[in-house]
Amino acid sequence: MALLDVLLELTLIVATMLVAATLAIVGPRRIVAAIRDFRWRLEACLLPLAVLAAVLLLRWSTQDVVQRLERRVLENNITPQLSAFDQAMLEPVIVLQSFQTEALTSFFVFIYIYGYAFLLIFPFIAYFALEEMDDLSTLILSFTANYAIGLLFYTLFIAYGPRNLSPELFEGLLYTAFPQSGALTHEINQNTNVFPSLHTSLSMTVFFLAWVTREKYPSWVPVAGFLAISVALSTMYLGIHWFSDVVAGTVLALVSVYIGVNYTVEEIVDGIRTFVASRFQSPKADGE
Amino acid sequence: MDDAGPPTTRRNLLAGASVAAASGLAGCLEQLWSQAETTGPDQVSLTIKTVPADDDRLAATIASRLRENYEVAGIDATHEPIGEAELYRDLLLEGNYDVFVARHPGLDEPDAFHGLLHSRFVGEQGWQNPFQLADLTIDDALEVQRRADGDRADALDELLDHLLMTTPYTAVAHPHALGGRRDEIDVPSPPERPHEFLDVLSLPDNGPRDGPLVVGVYGEGLTRRLNPITVDQNRIDGLLGLLYDPLARRIDGEYVPWLIDDFEWDENDPLRLRITLRDGLEWHDGESLDAEDVEFTYRFVEDTSLGAVDDGIPAPRFRGRRTLVDAATVVDSRTITLTFTETTPAVARRALTIPILPEHVWTDRSTLLVDRQPEALAHDNDEPVGSGLLEFGEATTDVELELTPVEDHALLSAADRPDVLEAFPRYDGIRFEVAPNPGAMVDALIDGEIDITAGGLPPEYAESIRDADDVSTATGTTDAFYMIGYNAQHSELGHPHVRRICSQLIDREHVVTEFFEGFADPATAPTELVGLRRANWPGDTLDDERASTLLDFPGTAGEVDPRAARSLFREIHYSYEDDALLGSSG
Repeated sequence: MALLDVLLELTLIVATMLVAATLAIVGPRRIVAAIRDFRWRLEACLLPLAVLAAVLLLRWSTQDVVQRLERRVLENNITPQLSAFDQAMLEPVIVLQSFQTEALTSFFVFIYIYGYAFLLIFPFIAYFALEEMDDLSTLILSFTANYAIGLLFYTLFIAYGPRNLSPELFEGLLYTAFPQSGALTHEINQNTNVFPSLHTSLSMTVFFLAWVTREKYPSWVPVAGFLAISVALSTMYLGIHWFSDVVAGTVLALVSVYIGVNYTVEEIVDGIRTFVASRFQSPKADGE
Repeated sequence: MDDAGPPTTRRNLLAGASVAAASGLAGCLEQLWSQAETTGPDQVSLTIKTVPADDDRLAATIASRLRENYEVAGIDATHEPIGEAELYRDLLLEGNYDVFVARHPGLDEPDAFHGLLHSRFVGEQGWQNPFQLADLTIDDALEVQRRADGDRADALDELLDHLLMTTPYTAVAHPHALGGRRDEIDVPSPPERPHEFLDVLSLPDNGPRDGPLVVGVYGEGLTRRLNPITVDQNRIDGLLGLLYDPLARRIDGEYVPWLIDDFEWDENDPLRLRITLRDGLEWHDGESLDAEDVEFTYRFVEDTSLGAVDDGIPAPRFRGRRTLVDAATVVDSRTITLTFTETTPAVARRALTIPILPEHVWTDRSTLLVDRQPEALAHDNDEPVGSGLLEFGEATTDVELELTPVEDHALLSAADRPDVLEAFPRYDGIRFEVAPNPGAMVDALIDGEIDITAGGLPPEYAESIRDADDVSTATGTTDAFYMIGYNAQHSELGHPHVRRICSQLIDREHVVTEFFEGFADPATAPTELVGLRRANWPGDTLDDERASTLLDFPGTAGEVDPRAARSLFREIHYSYEDDALLGSSG
């Protein structure tokens, strides 16, 4: 029940934002053109989409296995280190939370949930409406890299966020201001997965790509920049992430964008195919 | 000749430099050597393990404050949150910790110390001596207080003195049971224990209503494992006790016959109890429950491999209570005799509270999966077959779990029907609704989606319930307590004096007012400091004098005064360097 209500509200609000932004930034003419010949556009990015879907499916289907591996076998709890790094960096989370007002909390809760969802979905629409599908493929590959590398880190490290370490020092503002959102976040993630912050990395990825495509959508750059930085700040303000998670998330975004811009899924798939083929054929080659 | 100067100078320079370098290096080396040869003592470092705030805000808050206090006292303290299930693994199964903060489910009476402290349980699993303690004085006192011929009061007195002095662990506060309810539902005590749930279902003023009583709980993975003999998984408090009936239940300090119809102490042997089971007892799958099941349970809890492993593999739970029973012998299908180890009837009856398991389900689970791991200890028991007044309906992973009433249960037609079953059932069982966090649970209560919450509501939510319409808070008592435990195998924590000072470094009054918002009692009396509410201590109320050192907090209003803390450690001959407390070894 609660989950459905939250999802419905999320869908309505984000859809409204998407429509408004599409009209303002992409423009009606491009949209009409994109809808008219959607078929080749879809075909052009089918492979990257399939790879992204595969990674997300892997992430979803291995949740139990990953959790067991993370918590019972590898058992690398880095929470004390993350907390110590925060202390060394003059406690950014505590500083941010010291500015706490009701309005600011509402703003950051809105950004963390709705702003983030909008920021992630809008580029798909915007790049779909372009003349070529290269940017869309880059976006999809970068997202894939984010999720894949993130999953690796989440398996390797147990890390709890500030709100979970000490409710006395750090307030878990998201769940006090908007407890129902817990139904959503529980569905998507576990509380031991905070390093790196995927909220930050995916948002920053969108922002960096907005910069790469600045000539096609100049007005998107400041919007993406504002939202991405707000998302990064919100994760700390709401007590969910440490400063180190945000730093690591930004680095992950840079790496993912580098991969997305310099490689294509076809190249990577070809590369893997050649590698596997050479592995399988080499014994035969030796024998001959 | 002119050009002879510079080479000489250069050579001299080089020579001088190399001499200087060599001697400098030698000096440096000497220092390195002496450092390597005499390793000075390092700073004392302690890792405090506790659950994340999602699992227990209060434990997380106490641990956070404790870390700060340790730091002020010069200890290199680290606070490591770890999931509830993993914490129990580390504490109760693997002994992998220095200091922990946890909520203990409670000690009903002093004999419960037996499982918690006796050295025979070093290396065993469960709340069985998690402190890695081997203290013969404690062992001796524990044995004597059980024996019929011993002077129990004296032995307990000695035990308490010794525990306060050596402090293997310390209680911080006894929380009040706190929950919320819709106004139309009467809740004598926010339910955590099985009989408290039954009580709400049975009060004549409640309902009647078609449909189950909807109970809110919160947490992660609560419905994944329904195995009553394991400790390594989160669970809904009281749920398994509702499904599995024991021979007798302890309700408000009294032992209420449950599966037992009649019992009789042997006239010739004061350690032999003859029990007659109620007529018509059935398992939820329709099989009849008889004396064989009871005999099996006591055998199985002692050795879950049923003889496949040489020394046996005891169930991680119920160990302290199991050791009270020497043997269980079937007389006929409804009669069984329990022979107790040397003990008094007052203590022996604790063994009757172990839940009885169906032999036809659990026998096969004695198969070893791997070395020393019977299936019974790894099994999720996802379709539990018990004999309780509620039977398992269905569970939707992590969201809902439904129990339906057994309307033809033998207890309901019994002449000595327990009070907590007065008008059972006024609802079609119980549906547990699992919320992601306490805030969402409280919202669900206020919106009317749930009828009551289980106990264990964090105190900071009390106000939002009081401010809302048609809902109220419910309070009650519980035996549970928040404790700080120490690993006696740690190089510094092995010293009782160090544990005592570490136990002083938390301001119990401050914890109760600030963190519990008053919904708790600070541990101040001697019995409370070892985790027993005064009411659960037999005999006289003890004078509070003995507790005084432990309560002597070196600071004010929760803040440690560094000078006062250091002088405590200096008194026991520890030293400081640059404000760091140095270890005694090294």
